[in-house]
Amino acid sequence: MLRDLAKQLLEGLEGLQARIYSTPTSLPGQRGPESPTDPDTLLREARYVVFDTELTGLSRRKDSVVSLGAVLVENGRIPLGEYFYRVVSPRTALTGKSVVIHGITPTEASDSPTIEALLPEFMRFCKNSILVGHFVGIDKHFLDMELKQFNGGRFRQPMIDTHKANTWLRNRRDNPCAFHECQAQDMSLAALATSYGITAQNAHNALDDAYVTAQVWQRFLWELPLLGLERVRDILAIAGV
Amino acid sequence: MIIEEAVAFLKKVPPFQFLEEGRLHSIALNLALEFYPKDTLIHRQNGPPSKHLGIIKKGAIKVFVVTEDGEEVVIDYRSEGATFGFLSLIGKDKVRSNVMAIEDTIAYLLNKEIVHQLLTSNPDVTEFLLKAHLATYIDKTYKEMHSKSMFHGGSDRLLFTTQVGELATKMVITAASTASIQDAARIMVTKKVSALVITDHDGQPAGMVTDRDLRDKVVAQGLVISEPVSAIMSKPPLITVDARDFCFEAILRMIRHNVHHVLVLKENKLHGIVTNHDFMILQGASPLSFAKFIENQDRISSLVPVSAKINRVIDLLLKEGAKASNITKIISELNDRIVRKVLTIAEKQYGPPPVPYCWIVYGSEGRKEQTFRTDQDNGLIFQDVEDSELRTRAEEYFASLAIFVRDALTTCGFPLCPGDYMAANPLWRKPLSAWKEQFAGWVNTPTSEAILASVILFDFRGVHGELALAEQLRAHLSHLSRQKDMFFKHMADMVVATRPPLGFFKTFVVEKNGEHKDKLNLKIKCLAPLINVVRLFSLEEGLPETSTLERIQALKDRHPIIRELGDDLEHALEFIMLLRIHHQSAQIEAGEEPNNYIDPEKLSNLEKNTLQTSCKLISKAQESIVRKYSPGTVM
Repeated sequence: MLRDLAKQLLEGLEGLQARIYSTPTSLPGQRGPESPTDPDTLLREARYVVFDTELTGLSRRKDSVVSLGAVLVENGRIPLGEYFYRVVSPRTALTGKSVVIHGITPTEASDSPTIEALLPEFMRFCKNSILVGHFVGIDKHFLDMELKQFNGGRFRQPMIDTHKANTWLRNRRDNPCAFHECQAQDMSLAALATSYGITAQNAHNALDDAYVTAQVWQRFLWELPLLGLERVRDILAIAGV
Repeated sequence: MIIEEAVAFLKKVPPFQFLEEGRLHSIALNLALEFYPKDTLIHRQNGPPSKHLGIIKKGAIKVFVVTEDGEEVVIDYRSEGATFGFLSLIGKDKVRSNVMAIEDTIAYLLNKEIVHQLLTSNPDVTEFLLKAHLATYIDKTYKEMHSKSMFHGGSDRLLFTTQVGELATKMVITAASTASIQDAARIMVTKKVSALVITDHDGQPAGMVTDRDLRDKVVAQGLVISEPVSAIMSKPPLITVDARDFCFEAILRMIRHNVHHVLVLKENKLHGIVTNHDFMILQGASPLSFAKFIENQDRISSLVPVSAKINRVIDLLLKEGAKASNITKIISELNDRIVRKVLTIAEKQYGPPPVPYCWIVYGSEGRKEQTFRTDQDNGLIFQDVEDSELRTRAEEYFASLAIFVRDALTTCGFPLCPGDYMAANPLWRKPLSAWKEQFAGWVNTPTSEAILASVILFDFRGVHGELALAEQLRAHLSHLSRQKDMFFKHMADMVVATRPPLGFFKTFVVEKNGEHKDKLNLKIKCLAPLINVVRLFSLEEGLPETSTLERIQALKDRHPIIRELGDDLEHALEFIMLLRIHHQSAQIEAGEEPNNYIDPEKLSNLEKNTLQTSCKLISKAQESIVRKYSPGTVM
């Protein structure tokens, strides 16, 4: 019986004869809304690029970007095929300490293109999107530094810090006790992910961390409108960088 | 990385696991990760068709329809690895059912185009998805369609959801093609069958002879009955169906070929036979027709096939989505009828009893919580007699009766009680006064043996004969146990001795070694503690109820703990029993001996959570007993 039904159903489908993609639907950065994000856009309807960078170290002046990972959040969904991930040949030397963290070896890094070569590609990927990251201020600082060297510019897109958004959310959740408890809480991405039951793989890989951050952002896109933050401008006001 | 993670996930999930890795990789590139908070309505009944097939990565969803009367009918619960939105995706019209997240749910969404491409290129995937979605859907919605008519409730639908193999009589009666017509007819009479498979000299089915052949070809045409049976048999091609076909296909074939019997093949070998009578039983509200059938038998041998079919009733009831308590109630009712029938036959054989007696059952049978073939647990109370000659006669009569019943029930497939708690044992076959003394002894001197016996015996109930005798014994017990703190303290010790597994799922107490390593004994670790708690409360209150569910209901007005936890305990009981029935049903299906060992790893997230909650609840009730009796301490 099932086979017959299957046949019938499939016959009905013939007209559709779908276009099949065996590769990502488009090259990163070639798609996106025609116009830059209107601050009046509903939160879930905006296009977000959630990204993370790994650095040679944490010195704001001495260190630089060694890898860059980003995923897209569109209509609240994360299309897996549309990611961006590049290892960068850093301008400054990799410290042993940071190698232990992100696992990118000096050889691997030096075989990679420089950030100058990658930035235009990343900028295309981010076109017309709002950038999102955990403690995104840090990433922004280093990207701006690279960009300044590259063409004297800086990232103009609005950026949202998931850490700030999380702090705002925690302060508004029903239970005032929870607020105090949270004060002492671990603010790391891993801790935040765990609190949402999101399983993190390969922490400190820029792409995997971006993916985890995107999943956190996915939760926030449900929670924020319930607390009155319906539009892009609202979230920029509380968690913008 | 994210694509590899998705591929690793798909590898564990049917039907995707059937695909090769390269294919999975290209599928993964087309997935989108979506999150639905608990209670999100993902698809709305009559809403626009979905554009994606959802694959649950984490969490659980509920598929349900709302009827015109506004009643919610749950079609399915699905958790990790299951898919949703398939029917709506392939149907071009509206969504047929609501899909709601019942936990925070993370799902991968696979777009329509890829799903269609998979369907056209992979028949395995198509069949799997259709089975997974359509079968449950038809199953439940049919029920809904027919639920308005009580008499036809679900019966037609069963024809669409029951596979022929489940219904077929596995023992096929055969005769050699060289046998005479008369011999063949004799076999049909003695075996009480309406069709005979005729085998050739290799034992392969060569043809079939039915009642109708005897009538049409022998009687009506005046054929000589010493002719070989091959002269009247219907010859190949024999009408056959595959064991996996649904019943209605077999019926269609019967109608098309104008026959009443169809051979059932499994992997091209003779598996059994189905007759239109089997379908009639299936179509008539099945447990009821079984009951009627039992009533009409007059020999032990004719009861044998019925009791074997009780397992099938369980399967049917499971499919109907019956609650565990209803399943066990129906099974106990059917088993009671078999016992009564056996006793009636025995009374015919040995003559009327010299004094009134009552046949009692206890253990799970006494609690009406039987599932698949459970041990015989029974006893016999007979009226006290002064006259010593009459007493001797009664003792002899009931001894023969009890032994006859024990053997008859064994023949019918009820295994002997390993503890010998059977009326055939003179310990459990005695006059009312002796029973009263026995119970008094246990309650007044609660040794560990006495406690062990009382947890089995005190769940007794009468099923046949002078039921007043069982009632008098019950009244005596209620009176006896009043204010018997020492007895209850000892029973409390036993009740809290086995704690249900607590804590996070991974730390579920499982068997550490042996055949059932890493398995959870559902009966000993979960069900028995719950039953024991409720029995203790019930005996404290001197209640006459024996079934755990009835006890909980009766205790709700009387017992503070049950007042608080009663509703939840009912749910826990239903859930644990259902889990057990499903487990055993699957084992029987696989040809295994049913047991109580479940693999916690194989439970869905939802089941794990419910089981955990249930265990916590049982433990909470046990805690209250610890507080009251502080077991382990000397009073």
